[in-house]
Amino acid sequence: MKKLYFLAIFLFPLIAAAQKADIQKDSVWFVNNYEKKEVTIPMRDGVKLFTSIYMPKDKSEKHPVLITRTPYSCYPYGTAFRQYWYSYMIAYAHEGYVLVTQDIRGRWMSEGVFEVVRPFNPNKKTKNDIDEASDTYDTIDWLVKNIAGNNGNVGVTGISFPGFFATEAALSGHPALKAVSPQAPVTDRFFGDDDHHNGVLFLMDAFDFHVGFGFSQPKDKPSMKPAKTYNIPRTDNYAWYLKMGALPNFTKITGDSLKFWYDMMNHPNLDDWWRARDTRSGIKNVKPAMLVVGGLFDAEDGYGAWHTYDALVKQSPATTSKLVVGPWYHGQWASKDGTHLGNVMFYSNTADWYQKNIEVPWFNYYLKGKGSIDSISKTTIFFSGENKWHKFKEWPPVDATTPTPVYLEKDGQLSFRQTGDTGSDTYISDPSKPVPYAEKVHVDRTREYMTDDQRFASRRTDVLTYQTDTLTNDITLAGPVIADLMVSLSSTDADFIVKLIDVLPDSTPNNPVTKYPMAGYQMLVRAEVMRGRYRNSFSKPEAFEPGKKSEVKFTLPDVAHTFKKGHRMMIQVQSSWFPLTDRNPQQFVDIYHAKDSDFVKETINVFHEESKVVLPVLK
Amino acid sequence: MKKLYLLLAFLLPVMAFAQNADSVWFVNNYTKQEVSIPMRDGVKLFISAYLPKDNSEKHPILMERTPYSCAPYGKDQYRPFWVNHLIEYCKKGYIMVIADVRGRWMSEGQFMDVRPFNFNKKTNKDIDETTDTYDTIDWMVKNLANNNGKVGVFGISYPGFYSTMASLSGHPALKAVSPEAPVTDWFVGDDFHHNGAFFQMDAFAFYKGFGFGAPHPKPTTIAAKTYDYPDFDNYNFYLKVGALSNLTKIAGDSLIFWNQMMNHPNRDDFWMARNARVGIKNVKPAMLVVGGIFDAEDCFGAWNTYQAIDKQSPATNNRLVMGPWYHEQWRNNDGTHLGNVQWGANTSKYYAENIEIPFFEYYLRGKGTVDSISKATVFFTGENKWHHLKQWPPADVKQTNIYLQQKGALSFNQIQTFAPSFDSYVSDPSKPVPYTQNVHFNRSREYMTDDQRFAARRPDVLVYETPVLDKDITLAGPVVADLLVSISNTDADFVVKLIDVFPNDAGHNDVDIYAEADAPNTVPQGGYQMLVRGEIMRGRYRNSYSSPEAFKPNQTTQVKYTLPDVAHTFKKGHKIMVQIQSSWFPLVDRNPQQFIDIYHAKDEDFVKETINVYHNQSKLVLPIVGD
Repeated sequence: MKKLYFLAIFLFPLIAAAQKADIQKDSVWFVNNYEKKEVTIPMRDGVKLFTSIYMPKDKSEKHPVLITRTPYSCYPYGTAFRQYWYSYMIAYAHEGYVLVTQDIRGRWMSEGVFEVVRPFNPNKKTKNDIDEASDTYDTIDWLVKNIAGNNGNVGVTGISFPGFFATEAALSGHPALKAVSPQAPVTDRFFGDDDHHNGVLFLMDAFDFHVGFGFSQPKDKPSMKPAKTYNIPRTDNYAWYLKMGALPNFTKITGDSLKFWYDMMNHPNLDDWWRARDTRSGIKNVKPAMLVVGGLFDAEDGYGAWHTYDALVKQSPATTSKLVVGPWYHGQWASKDGTHLGNVMFYSNTADWYQKNIEVPWFNYYLKGKGSIDSISKTTIFFSGENKWHKFKEWPPVDATTPTPVYLEKDGQLSFRQTGDTGSDTYISDPSKPVPYAEKVHVDRTREYMTDDQRFASRRTDVLTYQTDTLTNDITLAGPVIADLMVSLSSTDADFIVKLIDVLPDSTPNNPVTKYPMAGYQMLVRAEVMRGRYRNSFSKPEAFEPGKKSEVKFTLPDVAHTFKKGHRMMIQVQSSWFPLTDRNPQQFVDIYHAKDSDFVKETINVFHEESKVVLPVLK
Repeated sequence: MKKLYLLLAFLLPVMAFAQNADSVWFVNNYTKQEVSIPMRDGVKLFISAYLPKDNSEKHPILMERTPYSCAPYGKDQYRPFWVNHLIEYCKKGYIMVIADVRGRWMSEGQFMDVRPFNFNKKTNKDIDETTDTYDTIDWMVKNLANNNGKVGVFGISYPGFYSTMASLSGHPALKAVSPEAPVTDWFVGDDFHHNGAFFQMDAFAFYKGFGFGAPHPKPTTIAAKTYDYPDFDNYNFYLKVGALSNLTKIAGDSLIFWNQMMNHPNRDDFWMARNARVGIKNVKPAMLVVGGIFDAEDCFGAWNTYQAIDKQSPATNNRLVMGPWYHEQWRNNDGTHLGNVQWGANTSKYYAENIEIPFFEYYLRGKGTVDSISKATVFFTGENKWHHLKQWPPADVKQTNIYLQQKGALSFNQIQTFAPSFDSYVSDPSKPVPYTQNVHFNRSREYMTDDQRFAARRPDVLVYETPVLDKDITLAGPVVADLLVSISNTDADFVVKLIDVFPNDAGHNDVDIYAEADAPNTVPQGGYQMLVRGEIMRGRYRNSYSSPEAFKPNQTTQVKYTLPDVAHTFKKGHKIMVQIQSSWFPLVDRNPQQFIDIYHAKDEDFVKETINVYHNQSKLVLPIVGD
């Protein structure tokens, strides 16, 4: 999912003065050396999709085609040029690529009916059996036949929702399609991308996107006008979402036109409806070369990158698939500045490195037959903490890691050894005072929360905190982390958020840019939520038996991080993460139709020793 | 108490161009004299006197006595009066004097913190700060060239204490005194304790961090050694250090006053003698008591020194000025805002030009008039207006109860209930409620008006608020908290916070509040919970500061105490909020929540407890102006 502020990066970038001259030069060059054409391309069912084509005036050689299919508009419409010069995308123009942006079916100037994550149709029989793969096929087919001077090689790229369309493109089977790069691809909106993580509604992202941003507004005919946005009257997301209360109150605001919102409300559990919308389900016999790209700290589609790659490797083993994951927020790899995220510094421009050493050479190789990709490893992963790129032959590097449990022990100890203690820690989770996901009062979900200082949380009485002694050697984690808690509740349901944290040494100097005090900084490395009712099955939720010990075991998305010698490792456990995720009423009721009065306090015990986190420690 | 940053403001000022012109003028038109003046007991006190070269008329003397040094030393080194409005006195020809108090810096003798007023001065050996002031004034009017025989004394913070003491000296040449944020009572409300609860961060920062408590064997121009804290995060530092006895270990044995504080947990004769109000009687000079409503250090002193003069010395010509200020903000050039809250005008400038300078001009030079300076000039925040009053608190104040009720309601109407109901929270000394949101080290001055949303979201903070107000409500005077509680153990602290909740459409504060150093800080003002007044009560002192009493577990008990005066208008469209919590960390030391000697408690003495606050019987008494 591409958010409003990501669009803003293209439209209103804040750019250092030094870069301004280059941008100015590139913009003049692009306008003088490219021409623009707007066409409507007929699909097999007769529906026409609106497409903007930027073609080089250069006729000295034939040129490849690079397509992005988007629900966010191929603006600007008319004679004005898309501002490729603001990003590294201008590098493709300098290489003579034909740059194509297409409004997908049912969005903006394209005809037809839009469907949020339209399921892949494995059984296309008639011309009316369309899906995003067939739309991509028909588009590619038209382009290679109609664009003068094209070399017959096509690539598709896209970040976020366009990442989903890139994955779908890869399934089109068009022989001209040689290379596809799904970047932070929306992949599974139930398990880990955008709207839900492990079945828990990401309230703020979902509501802001589908309703606030107006994304899911219906449209009766092609239009250049953006959808009506819903003006959320607030300056403080915590206060506003808390006051709104139970989910049906949100549904009232959406009106009855927002089909996807309603669908979500009516599919609380993992069912066939959700399974059809798991993009991975169609991945099979993928022909083009694939480059999956993602951010370690992507607040939106961190899940999609890891799992699209994983699905390619498992379900389409013959495909040439590669993976790149950097220390990035959503889309940061396409930005100018990959030196830091929030207060955490990476000490080199990781975005620039990626653009120059991976993405552009990769497309050049497959689409222009230029250069070599020998230096691009199967997987290229940036390890925060150590702040270095690592290359692996597989991801996760299972053979190179040892699953290592750390135990939650008494007195807030996190220990690599069990100590024999059989006690527990207790907190009261109060849905009227949920734990904030970020410290400050603010409006829009931040992207920095993924590396934020967690001290504000560890000071709360409803957050359990466990930390190791100071580490005497570096510990590097590579792969998914498993949280395995033994708990008992006073009621019948609860959420569990497990946070893996790097505690910086007391000698760490303040951040040189933000001046933030980094001594003792509790850097969030990875966090994930689990809705307790799904502990045994996502399709068959189960109530807890009050007072009875239950195991809650779940997987956190992959981690690539080094806990340096002198640091400490910390685990925090809490039962709300607000307003990032919706509140659990802490009763086994249908949360999507719960009433305000259903939300109750409960007491939660987390047992020492039996509760642990299993870390993928690199040998 | 004047803190490190205040010294820095003097010594390392960030000067504007206009001030540069003033600095040149001052150096060219003033001479400097450094003298050691003998006191009646033979001890010599060091002063720096800056004298105008102008001899066209005789000049008054304006003196500040300070424990923070009359630096810079040396005849050619000039004190930068040009960084603030004090340069105006120089332009009018005042002889400006700074004196090192007894036992500090270049003065001889033995320093004593807040030296008690001596009621029994018989011999030349019976000295106190009043006699030192008397002897200094006496020497000056006789020896400083071309003086007009009229002396004024002023000073902020600790020098405010010396101003109060000066006013008790009885020297006939002393015509006007302005104690500003005067250190007045270090047990009840200034600096180190509020209602007997220890303000550990200020105390430790002052005596150990700043080095104020270091011994002074002989006169010196060299500053005491400061202490390097091993941390950037006060919450973590003080929590890790743990019980106060551990802090005392770091403080060391040489810090006399620190150790005295540890040995006088209750309000005994030691503390009674150190209440600066006890000596106030027959005060001769005209008095101008000045303070900041949001002074994190000596807010208590200003309100209560003024009250003590009115009550104990009714014949004195006594005035009060209270502005919306942090500690000494009225002497800084920018009085437009504090933290995120704006005052709509430069209140510091208004004060300097319309009150302080005319006051000294009238009494020391016979210039102008003081008719326009009211008995009490108080800035009302919220409304953002100066009020000129005949008395403080004003006559038309009506004490009005506001009750804590079920479901977080705060209401002017008491509900008669049959079954008692209460709200409950667990106070855990290992996770105390932070006094402010951000990770930081030095106690902030902005916490006094900070957004309290970070606290409202905690399970160990109770929150009560009124519906949206349909008219303005103005408070003027002290606020009384009157809680009915039961606790599961034998002691607890209670922090009551009175808060102004801004309307949701209040927008953002886009003022660059840290213009000199940091990037602009924008804070959403919609729903901002502005701290208007917060105060702590250590439960054991609920009936007496001198005879603390344990609570009986689980038995309802009244905890009633007074919060410092408020001057604030809750505007129509706003809401009044009350928050209650049992820690305020690390501003205040943690209560072990057991009835034991806190100053010698061990880490394991600190225990969790459950606290119940009863609805309807728990209330605040608000001093509401008008009907």
